[in-house]
Amino acid sequence: MANAASGIAVHDDCKLRFLELKAKRTYRFIVFKIEEKQKQVIVEKVGEPNQGYEDFTASLPADECRYAVYDFDFVTEENCQKSRIFFVAWSPDTSRVRSKMIYASSKDRFKRELDGIQVELQATDPTEIGLDVIKSRAS
Amino acid sequence: MTQLAETYACVPTTERGRGILISGSPKSNTILYTNGRSVIILNLDNPLDVSVYAEHAYPATVARFSPNCEWIASADVSGAVRIWGTRNEFVLKKEFKVLSGRIDDLQWSPDGMRIVACGEGKGKSFVRAFMWDSGTNVGEFDGHSRRVLSCAFKPTRPFRIVTCGEDFLVNFYEGPPFKFKLSHRDHSNFANCVRFSPDGSKFITVSSDKKGIIYDGKSAEKIGELSSEDGHKGSIYAVSWSPDGKKVLTVSADKSAKIWDISEDGNGKVKKTLTSPGSGGVEDMLVGCLWQNDHLVTVSLAGTISLFSAADLDKAPILLSGHMKNVTSLAILKNDPKVIVSSSYDGLMVKWIPGVGYSGRLQRKDNSQIKCLAAIEEEIVTSGFDNKIWRVSVHGDQCGDADSVDIGTQPKDLSLALLSPEIALVSTDSGVVMLHGTKVVSTINLGFTVTASAIAPDGMEAIIGGQDGKLHIYSITGDTLKEEAVLEKHRGAVSVIRYSPDVSMFASGDLNREVVVWDHVSREVKLKNMLYHTARVNCLAWSPNSSMVATGSLDTCVIIYEVDKPASSRLTIKGAHLGGVYGLAFTDQYSVVSSGEDACVRVWRLTPQS
Repeated sequence: MANAASGIAVHDDCKLRFLELKAKRTYRFIVFKIEEKQKQVIVEKVGEPNQGYEDFTASLPADECRYAVYDFDFVTEENCQKSRIFFVAWSPDTSRVRSKMIYASSKDRFKRELDGIQVELQATDPTEIGLDVIKSRAS
Repeated sequence: MTQLAETYACVPTTERGRGILISGSPKSNTILYTNGRSVIILNLDNPLDVSVYAEHAYPATVARFSPNCEWIASADVSGAVRIWGTRNEFVLKKEFKVLSGRIDDLQWSPDGMRIVACGEGKGKSFVRAFMWDSGTNVGEFDGHSRRVLSCAFKPTRPFRIVTCGEDFLVNFYEGPPFKFKLSHRDHSNFANCVRFSPDGSKFITVSSDKKGIIYDGKSAEKIGELSSEDGHKGSIYAVSWSPDGKKVLTVSADKSAKIWDISEDGNGKVKKTLTSPGSGGVEDMLVGCLWQNDHLVTVSLAGTISLFSAADLDKAPILLSGHMKNVTSLAILKNDPKVIVSSSYDGLMVKWIPGVGYSGRLQRKDNSQIKCLAAIEEEIVTSGFDNKIWRVSVHGDQCGDADSVDIGTQPKDLSLALLSPEIALVSTDSGVVMLHGTKVVSTINLGFTVTASAIAPDGMEAIIGGQDGKLHIYSITGDTLKEEAVLEKHRGAVSVIRYSPDVSMFASGDLNREVVVWDHVSREVKLKNMLYHTARVNCLAWSPNSSMVATGSLDTCVIIYEVDKPASSRLTIKGAHLGGVYGLAFTDQYSVVSSGEDACVRVWRLTPQS
């Protein structure tokens, strides 16, 4: 299935991994990459449940765009353990304009494939994916 | 965690030819005045105890405590009055748009229910009185044709309001609801200030015609005037009654303050003339006064607040001063005790001692404007908006002779080689000028637009930052520069470069709100992603042991990073200075001094996170 706006298809693997994260909690995070030659969004990296937020931010390259999904666990004021699934559109200022355009135009179509995202975050530099930003968006 | 340790307050904004109005708390020894967009609450007994209210969107003009001390009403040049609580973080109660122009004076009624405000109304209404909580009008105030400079509410019943203004008139209104009763035209020049005595039996108006006239409080008939023998020789700008209603304090453009005894028949005789020590220039003209319990407060045009004691009039006054304008740079004079020197662009340099506060002004023989300042031990080097660099030696409180050197173009940035302070590097639009003492050693045109520069403490190396964000490293041999390397990381013009005290690193900040810490020897990036500011980086300082970097920005925040930790674990001080932070320095490992557009200097204490 190709996307009308930018012509990027979504690999089935992406949807499968996402469902596994949502239902069975087998991953902490998934990083997706658009492979231009195959015109597809593919899974680039997954993170084990024991990995933390720093491992996630470390796996986002500093000058290339990515999509990412992160399962964030936190404790609310009433002492409830909760979790939120974040979708991060990572588009650093230092990346190439062509890259930013492709990721931006394919984002909506891709998000629709991932059913169950609770919070969306757009980040253009490392300060915007800081832990404090995530915490404030979680509640 | 960071904590505000000390605030060195700014002084009231003054304007030549006009008086200013300062007011005090009915119950304690705190006074209120305004500077720029802030309202300053200063404790006269402890000048370091100062709070700042910075919520006005326009320059604030006057502020007053309510009679029960719970609320403060403050007004600004747009005609808005804000009423906010004195406790509990200054929570706003109400804001009213009262006049269509600048508000010059504001008074509460003695029961705290009504407020009268007067000022410039652009031809329509110059005075308005309204209920404090609902804003409904309580009277019609016609009778003035020009700006109304002052208004007063009779402190006892029956309520009366008196206003006086630039049309030389003194108008009397009865109410509520207030209606015009009568008008006096006894003054021959602007009537500057009107005040009722605390018991409401009399009120006095003072004017630029050097006279003061006393009227009966209930009927507004003239009963007497301040005697012209030994009177003021210049416009009288403000007047204040003593708490017992028997004396008044007046201040005038003749640089003196006079205390008058008001007799029962309403005439006043000079009891004492007070002059503050000063150089005798225009800046010593007194423009504001207040009789606050035992303190007599006078404010000069330069902003110096003199505190006299009412009980002992011959005692020399305590002088408090500070900055009136944007404090653009800060430097630490390394003597013991630590002395902080702050300078504002109008050329004023003030010394502060942590723990004590205002310590004196550095008087220079030539008061040129200052853009950049560098200080070492006993010497200060400044550059301004003319083409000169001034070197002044500082001994104690006095400045020695200033030597100047003309460098031909306007200096943009200035730095001293800390270990051999005769060597100075000045960057100009297109290049740099090297100075040895007060001699120009060389002028080098670099071919790119220079925006920031720094010279290494040993004077052997210089880093010049350009408009395009590139950092050029040069080695200095004699009077020539040889380019060693070009570092590219910044995405905006470089605004500040600083070497760390141990010279192993240097940090640079740019207009694109990014800061980078580099390793000096390898010229590699040591700490990046310091992008937490939201506006241009104005200033940067290293801690004495080179472990922390503090950055100040136009977005009013100061952020402190530790070089060994990732940039995300930072300490942020939000809202350090309304309008932007322009100067930063570390006094010791855990204290940061910052200065900014609000003309205040603040000291912050850092507690290390475990």
